[in-house]
Amino acid sequence: MWWLTAPLRTAVVPAQSGIIPRGTMVEVFEEIYLVFLVLGTLVGVVVIGYMCYLGYQYRDTGDGSDGGDGSGGDGKKIDRPTLGELPAGSGGGRKLFTSLALSAIIVISLIAWTYGTLLFVEGAPAEGQQDFEVSVTGYQFGWEFEYPNGHTVDTLRIPAGERIDITVTSRDVWHNFGIPAFKVKSDAIPGQQTDAWFIAEQPGTYQAVCYELCGAGHSAMNADVIVMEPEKFEQWYANTSGSNGSANASSGNATNATGSGANATAGNGTSGNGTGGNGTSGNGTVNALIADTASKLA
Amino acid sequence: MSKTKLYVAIYVLLFVLATAQVLVEFAGLEYWTAMAAILALSFVKALFVAGYYQHLRYEPRSLTYLMATGLLAALALTIAASYSIT
Amino acid sequence: MKSDDSPTDDTIDGSPTGTDAGTERAGRTPADTDGGRTATDGGHAADGGHASTGGRVTAATAEGELVTPGQAGTDAGTDTDHGHGLPPLGSVRRYLITTNHKDVGVLYIVTALFFLIFGGVLALLMRVQLWGPGESLLSAGAYNQAVSIHGLIMVFWFLSPFAFGFANYVVPLQIGAKDLAFPRLNALSYWLYAASGLLLGVSFFQGASFAGGWTMYAPLNLPTYTPEVGSTTAVLALLLFVVSITVSSVNFLTTMHRMRAEGLTLRRLPLFTWTILLTAWMMLFAFAALLAALMILSADRLLGTTYFSFTEGGSLLWAHLFWFFGHPEVYIVFFPALGVMAETFQTFTGKRLVGRKWFIASMVLVALQSFGVWMHHMFLTSINLQVKTLFMATTIGISLPFDLMVFSLIYTMIKGRIRFATPFLFSFGALVLFIVGGITGVFLGAVVLDYEFRGTYWVVAHFHYVMVGGVTALVGGLYYWYPKITGKMYDEFLGKVHFALYFVGFNLVYFPMFLAWETPRRVFDYPPGLAPWHKIATIGAFVLGASFLVMFYNLSTSLFTGEDAGDDPWKYVTTAEWTVPSPPPLENFPGIPTYRSGSIDFLSEDERPALGGGEPAADGGHAAESTKSGLTDGGVADAEAVAARSGAESASTPSSQGEGHRGSHAPEDGEDEHEDHASIWPLAIGVGAFAFLLGASGFQGGEFAGGIAGAFYAWVLAIGALITGGSLVGMTRERFTGPSGPFGESWPFDGIENVKTGVWIFLASDVILFGAFIGSYVFIRVANGWIGWEPIPHDPIPGLINTYLLLTSSFSVVLAMVAAEKGSKKGVVGSLIVTIALGIGFLVNKGIEWQELLHEGLWLSTNVRTSTFFLTTGLHALHVIAGLAIAVYMLVRASRGAYLDDERPIEYFGLYWHFVDIVWLFLFPLFYIL
Repeated sequence: MWWLTAPLRTAVVPAQSGIIPRGTMVEVFEEIYLVFLVLGTLVGVVVIGYMCYLGYQYRDTGDGSDGGDGSGGDGKKIDRPTLGELPAGSGGGRKLFTSLALSAIIVISLIAWTYGTLLFVEGAPAEGQQDFEVSVTGYQFGWEFEYPNGHTVDTLRIPAGERIDITVTSRDVWHNFGIPAFKVKSDAIPGQQTDAWFIAEQPGTYQAVCYELCGAGHSAMNADVIVMEPEKFEQWYANTSGSNGSANASSGNATNATGSGANATAGNGTSGNGTGGNGTSGNGTVNALIADTASKLA
Repeated sequence: MSKTKLYVAIYVLLFVLATAQVLVEFAGLEYWTAMAAILALSFVKALFVAGYYQHLRYEPRSLTYLMATGLLAALALTIAASYSIT
Repeated sequence: MKSDDSPTDDTIDGSPTGTDAGTERAGRTPADTDGGRTATDGGHAADGGHASTGGRVTAATAEGELVTPGQAGTDAGTDTDHGHGLPPLGSVRRYLITTNHKDVGVLYIVTALFFLIFGGVLALLMRVQLWGPGESLLSAGAYNQAVSIHGLIMVFWFLSPFAFGFANYVVPLQIGAKDLAFPRLNALSYWLYAASGLLLGVSFFQGASFAGGWTMYAPLNLPTYTPEVGSTTAVLALLLFVVSITVSSVNFLTTMHRMRAEGLTLRRLPLFTWTILLTAWMMLFAFAALLAALMILSADRLLGTTYFSFTEGGSLLWAHLFWFFGHPEVYIVFFPALGVMAETFQTFTGKRLVGRKWFIASMVLVALQSFGVWMHHMFLTSINLQVKTLFMATTIGISLPFDLMVFSLIYTMIKGRIRFATPFLFSFGALVLFIVGGITGVFLGAVVLDYEFRGTYWVVAHFHYVMVGGVTALVGGLYYWYPKITGKMYDEFLGKVHFALYFVGFNLVYFPMFLAWETPRRVFDYPPGLAPWHKIATIGAFVLGASFLVMFYNLSTSLFTGEDAGDDPWKYVTTAEWTVPSPPPLENFPGIPTYRSGSIDFLSEDERPALGGGEPAADGGHAAESTKSGLTDGGVADAEAVAARSGAESASTPSSQGEGHRGSHAPEDGEDEHEDHASIWPLAIGVGAFAFLLGASGFQGGEFAGGIAGAFYAWVLAIGALITGGSLVGMTRERFTGPSGPFGESWPFDGIENVKTGVWIFLASDVILFGAFIGSYVFIRVANGWIGWEPIPHDPIPGLINTYLLLTSSFSVVLAMVAAEKGSKKGVVGSLIVTIALGIGFLVNKGIEWQELLHEGLWLSTNVRTSTFFLTTGLHALHVIAGLAIAVYMLVRASRGAYLDDERPIEYFGLYWHFVDIVWLFLFPLFYIL
């Protein structure tokens, strides 16, 4: 598929410096949404307005004259359709294609513009960017969050200001995990793993919601998301490390969130509650986290 | 008479190809090569059945396009769906 | 065209008599009454007699002449209404046995409107629940059912059937045909649709109906999560609906391609017919994929196969199959609305469509592209970025032709003479709504925004603007054709009131959903801050609902009190349905329609031989040849669709009975043969299918539940199977004459007569059916890891033997045809016996193989490998069984000397049989070797 993505990338990348929205998911969304909204409203108002104008201008006045304004436009007699004639069209091809070209330019450039952001959103964390990994598993009807150290909770606690990478799956039916406040969303499909990330700027309590009908409890399938000051989070997290004996996480498979994005190699069904062994990688992340927050505080 | 002969010839050919298809499996070829050969043989047989027994060869081309469209849609579904999870 | 002779020849049950026919004419009279005289008793006068005053067609039909409404209706061509078994228009019985396209169209429209109310009430229940966050009018389970069944009803049981009601009524008129190619199959489509709708209604009373959303995502659609019997019934109801659609699309495609009036080339086809043509093509292919998905789902639910519970890819497999159907479905639903818009824009602006050929080209493009965008419904699943990019590109691609169509409609208004009558108000409104829906759809095409909008009310609002926007146009279509269908004019003022309420209500209910877009879909609890928007939406929903009360009041009272509409109440219409009386006579036209002169003319029978390229119609002795073009109703597509797909074993032969009929009833005296318009068998098959599937719903995991309930379901199943089978045989044996050629334009199927065209079109949909089954197998195998998958049979040899058997049977069918061509009865019988023996040999061999596997403990439900093996080859075996049933039937007839002077039935059976052979050529390597 390189033949498709490569040209698009090259077309988009040079422009990335300023035009392509980047930042948190919220910033990205708001910027793109605003542009779409303004342009969409503009186009809608113009087109519908024009329709209404035509409807008024050429309304049948009942005076028997041809052409709505009475003059028949250019004064020529207009050839009206007659009963039983072979269906035919009236000209106007050029006008049609001008309009089509205009709308095509708008639509294609808009979508191409957002494609750059898509690559950014699907991409790995930038060099030196903090990121923290959590596995999310949906079930009827709730969410389970597993930290790199194997600690499992049903209320998601995360540090503010850091990129949180989530790997989402389900243990029963199809769910969709989303936190509206952070504009993050990902399908939770049994047997598949999907990836997404987000950044929570402000400490506080938020809600995670299910966005796919999953059964009787769908409407109430929420979980609290508590965004903490990074140092408070570190304290909390440090205390959880030992609390869960089965320490070991699926962090190993989350670290390679490459540009190819959600790429669940079909296979391992549930999030690996494995056989122990590579606990070190989890610890490494934690240590780095602690070091980093320390430096921030300083 | 020649028509019947043609049908007989096609029948013999199909019989041989079907046998060959299974022989390919036992020929000890590399898996993907064997697979390509086996599927190719299936397509060849299908073409003969459709072309002569269903006499698509002698019908207006539109019928061939009709069936090809169906086949194409089915292939699109199969290939794109399978590719999406790789 | 025809003399008023007694219709006893071709009746089915003998009951319709001359009296009936007389009443029929009388029943029509008021509708055909002179515009100056208001009919007093609205449509069901039983006072017979003066109807026959209507002379042969004259004024109403003169070429290209604008007939004034006043003079139009008088002479109506009542003579052509020899009933052929049909009770009068007002009688209920007529609608139970009719096969006439106009009656069936009315049935479709009325039934669809019933489902509009059904689905609408469910929507109102939801809106009441959504009045505030956490309201609890309905329980959670009930709310989910309301959401799911509302969606299913509106998309399947309301929208398409509503559109196809118009299609049934109008398309044959627009293309200049007397009826559809296979009138009985048309009635059958309707009755299967009605049966499926009834089945859906029944599902509510079996514990609970389906509650997994209209998209039915796996594995929520499995009994593990939705165990109620009603859920199974809903799935089976949809399955039956899809069978109905398949029969219907084969019929429409054959009709529209083969039976157009002379001069009406595809380029010249009226736009409404164009949209229906493309819709039917999309239906043929898309619904076949859904059929496969639903058959697999039914197998998972009833037999315990494990496709969708397969952890490594079952969920995604459903999503792929569903959306491969689901996206074309969007256009399937919307295209007819577009057609109505195009027709009404032309009529009410008094302008021909701007850029007509580009408009058509755009639609063709969209129809093709619609099969290549389905994964944009799956952007948040685990599909890879390359595929996302590809489908993002195709999605933009498909939006562009729509821009052109919208501009084309808008520019048509320029220099028009626009009359804002009710139909145009609705069409104009629909275009406005569609523009809003289209623009908000572009938002969803941007993948990054789609990520955020997925599963929210943005999506809900967007597709309601598009789809209900389509409904808006179709409602306009109802007003537009109401005078044609009923002969009466609706009340214009009430029509405008309806539009005003409708448009305001529509925007009140759906626009706030954009503003409250952060509400997750299908929940009844939402952030309190969004409550005001939801309150407005609820109010809007009631306004929208109330607007339909105005419509129902208007349309039902106008039936009795409305003014007579005349042939053409609108002015500036062009299409042929307005050249005939309102309502049109039974066989539509006063002669053979032709556009040779550039506008419509009606040729008398005498002029018929002059038709370009047509064979002489009926010149005595050569009856068999003269009726070469599609005389019979072709039970074949039906038999195969029903027998092969629902597992019923009886089947009918291609046109076999028609052959006999042709032999004995061929016109001897140069008089044209009469067409039939009534058959009881479609209804009977509908009843049988209903019972059969209702019984099947009690089946779970390979067995019936114990106790009384289980026994009840088992009995209902058996009775249903008997009725279905018996009715299929009855329909096959019935003497029935459908519309016969020669036809004017048949591109691109010139020279391929109707039944044959139908068989091929049906086979094309079967290609998709098997393609989707094989695709599912490949997908699951890829998800599982291709290499690590062992074929289920240990040994390819039994499979190879079966390949030999099928190939040889194909050869013997060919020999049967050769023998028939040579007139050798012995050869035909012998070859058919060989074919049947080989087919049975195939099944026995397969049975032995399955038996051995069963002994090893391998069966459908063992694991996903066995599921794919048994289900796919089992479906193929069902096709073989259906083919054998047909072959046995043909053998019986051949032994009495049939087919010797006309071998076509053998040829058509062969087409099917060879196709089954070809499928095996692929199944064998895929399931036995690789």
